[in-house]
Amino acid sequence: MVQYNFKKITVVPPGKDFIDIILSRTQRQTPTVVHKGYAISRLRQFYMRKVKYTQQNFHEKLSTIIEEFPRLDDIHPFYGDLLHVLYNKDHYKLALGQVNTARNLISKIAKDYVKLLKYGDSLYRCKSLKVAALGRMCTVIKRIGPSLAYLEQIRQHMARLPSIDPNTRTVLICGYPNVGKSSFINKITRADVDVQPYAFTTKSLFVGHTDYKYLRYQVIDTPGILDRPFEDRNIIEMCSITALAHLRAAVLFFLDVSGSCGYSIAQQAALFHSIKSLFMNKPLIIVCNKTDLQPLEGISEEDMKLVMEMKAEAMKTVLGQGGEPTNDEGVLLTMSTLTEDGVIAVKNAACERLLNQRVEIKMKSKKINDCLNRFHVALPKPRDQKERPPCIPQAVMEARAKEAAEKEKRKTEKDIENENGGAGVYSASLKKHYILSNEEWKEDIMPEILDGHNVADFIDPDILLRLEELEREEGLRQAVEEDDDFEMDGKELTSEEQEALAEIRKKKSLLIQQHRIKKSTAESRPIVPRKFDKNKEFTTKRMGRQLSVLGLDPSLAINRARSRSLSRKGRKRERSPAYDGGDAMDVDVDTPKKKLRARSRSLSLSRSRSRPPSEVTPGEGFKDSAQKVKAIKLGKKSVKMRNKDARNGRGSNNDVLQSSRQLPKFARSYGGSSSIRFFIRRFMVAASKEAGNAFWSDKFTFTSFSLPGYMLFWQF
Amino acid sequence: MRLEKCWFCSSTIYPGHGIQFVRNDAKIFRFCRSKCHKNFKMKRNPRKVKWTKAYRRLHGKDMTQDSTFEFERKRNRPERYDRNLAENTLRAIKKIDKVRVEREARHHALRMKGKKAKEHKEAQKELEQSIHLIKAPAVLQQDPSLTLPKIQVKVSQQQSEENHAMEE
Repeated sequence: MVQYNFKKITVVPPGKDFIDIILSRTQRQTPTVVHKGYAISRLRQFYMRKVKYTQQNFHEKLSTIIEEFPRLDDIHPFYGDLLHVLYNKDHYKLALGQVNTARNLISKIAKDYVKLLKYGDSLYRCKSLKVAALGRMCTVIKRIGPSLAYLEQIRQHMARLPSIDPNTRTVLICGYPNVGKSSFINKITRADVDVQPYAFTTKSLFVGHTDYKYLRYQVIDTPGILDRPFEDRNIIEMCSITALAHLRAAVLFFLDVSGSCGYSIAQQAALFHSIKSLFMNKPLIIVCNKTDLQPLEGISEEDMKLVMEMKAEAMKTVLGQGGEPTNDEGVLLTMSTLTEDGVIAVKNAACERLLNQRVEIKMKSKKINDCLNRFHVALPKPRDQKERPPCIPQAVMEARAKEAAEKEKRKTEKDIENENGGAGVYSASLKKHYILSNEEWKEDIMPEILDGHNVADFIDPDILLRLEELEREEGLRQAVEEDDDFEMDGKELTSEEQEALAEIRKKKSLLIQQHRIKKSTAESRPIVPRKFDKNKEFTTKRMGRQLSVLGLDPSLAINRARSRSLSRKGRKRERSPAYDGGDAMDVDVDTPKKKLRARSRSLSLSRSRSRPPSEVTPGEGFKDSAQKVKAIKLGKKSVKMRNKDARNGRGSNNDVLQSSRQLPKFARSYGGSSSIRFFIRRFMVAASKEAGNAFWSDKFTFTSFSLPGYMLFWQF
Repeated sequence: MRLEKCWFCSSTIYPGHGIQFVRNDAKIFRFCRSKCHKNFKMKRNPRKVKWTKAYRRLHGKDMTQDSTFEFERKRNRPERYDRNLAENTLRAIKKIDKVRVEREARHHALRMKGKKAKEHKEAQKELEQSIHLIKAPAVLQQDPSLTLPKIQVKVSQQQSEENHAMEE
């Protein structure tokens, strides 16, 4: 609520700062760069924008000030009066009025200058217009500088005002200075008001809160009031007067019966009477404080008379409300804040009186019906004559307690455990309370597992029956099966057959093994053709052995193999006389002596003999010597022409070098090897390496030879 | 204490062995040893893995339906202890086991019934067809019986004679 919360008012900056803020904002938020070469409309727009922007900001800020400060006519009269008392209504209004005028002035300035700017014809002129406009606005603000400072001060003070709710239950404490008002409030609430021996310790209103009958009450401590004519009162006293005047509260008028405040009872009574008009329609209680110093009975007669007068006045207020006239205890109370004697009673009395008054007023108003509708107290309907109070009667409680004590205690397992040696020594038998058909079975241990089965899976009340059935079945089946026997297989393999079978199987497995070995390593190892036979696997001995295992006579085969072997050819001399199958020998008899001698000379070199080219050696792949001769001829024919040309092959270079790039690397020009002779030597060395190079074969006639630079044309 | 069955191979899991795996849908898989566990983790189907009971039952290698299996059933309600009943049960278990083992043996024998005849036939055929591996056909013609030829060690004497001839 705006009325009660003055803490939310924004800070009012002092005049100079105000100007600075606005101008710097204008500088930051509007474009800053402009050149005189721009179009005139652009220039005008630029400056108009600045002026308008400044005016807007001023307007905004001043409006917030005007709106946030409370209007004294619109708020609760208590606050209105309080603010008036504190800050002087007129000054306040004036200040705000000045701010308002400033705002209007600035708007007018802006309007005028914008109108002028519309017709500015150069950069300079527009700029000066803008400067003038801003300058005037700033002057206006400078003029209201003092108002702004004043408003700022008010704002700060207002923020610190206590937050008093004028409409809620309030208890007001008033009286002369130093009578003990602040001590009282310190006692009944959590407020921590300064308590000092000098007068006017409390200079403004203080609020505390207290509870009574589950309701919150505001307790307001006021500064002391002196007995003066109304006009002479200072601001501080006026605060309390305002509070008294406007708040609908219970009033506690404090009376110092001991006189230690510095004022006599007579003076205090005089004060009372002067402000009793303010106590209209308010529950009034006269509190006699400091009774520890001077009890109420002990005061003088005159004082007593005065007090009684006051009481009478107070009673009037009670009467005015329509309360009981005889109840004077609620009107005059004694207490001592020092000894805390009667403090609570005073508080209770005040709260009670206030509450009653408020309730009465509410009852009389029209709103009561709405409230009543919302209340409903539910009571259970009595079903019989027996009375059922809400709390257990004391007698019953006692009887129950006695009963519980008399009941015997059962012996618990824990007790047994403790008897027999405690927790670690005694272990309770958990099977003690089992319910079984036979008591002897309690300590039985039943196995849970038997032969890899869970016994619990087999437990069945009629297991015996089923077992009998099973056995009967089994007996039947066995009887049936004894009849049909398994056929005895009369057929059996003889021992010969078995032997043969075993051999066959062994052979087969060997073959498979070999095949697997060959298969597995075939990809990674190169296969040497059989004719080279580096492991000497294919010997006649081996062949002989294998054949004889099969039952064949190997001698014929061995001889034939030997006769056709390659080495045999070289050895024909040794085999000459007694050998039947040597056909080479026959040939040799007819040849001339010369050849025989030539051949006999190389006796030792049995292997490395040259033989006639038409000789067909076994393993070459020719049918006979005629075929071999033909093959040789064909081969020779295909290479004849090329050999004549002395070329490497069909793909070798036919032409002379086209460019130096085709020369070998060393033949190109390199720095350092500029000596011609050196060059040529290297060149010839290289050329000789490439036999059959076309360059060389052209009989060294090179007329156009594209060597770079310093090579001469050569002519052999 | 309960003996469980391995989920993969269906053998009994004794206490202190194996691993239990609880899946997120609260299904419990018990394994008797790491072999089964690892096979499971590889997502192998026990019905396709030759050595498991599931495979054997599925493919008819082992007995599937029998009244002896009815005796063993997981009962969830415990029975009140009765000594006589317990004694009878224990004795019955042994007898049932005996019967079951006999029946399984019979099943196996039934399965293997025609084996001898088949083997004999195969042996005959093999002998007929592959005899050439150990006995050359030429030899077989001369001697039709199945006796294996003896190995003859041939020593060639001719070499030395020839050499003598040359020197002369």
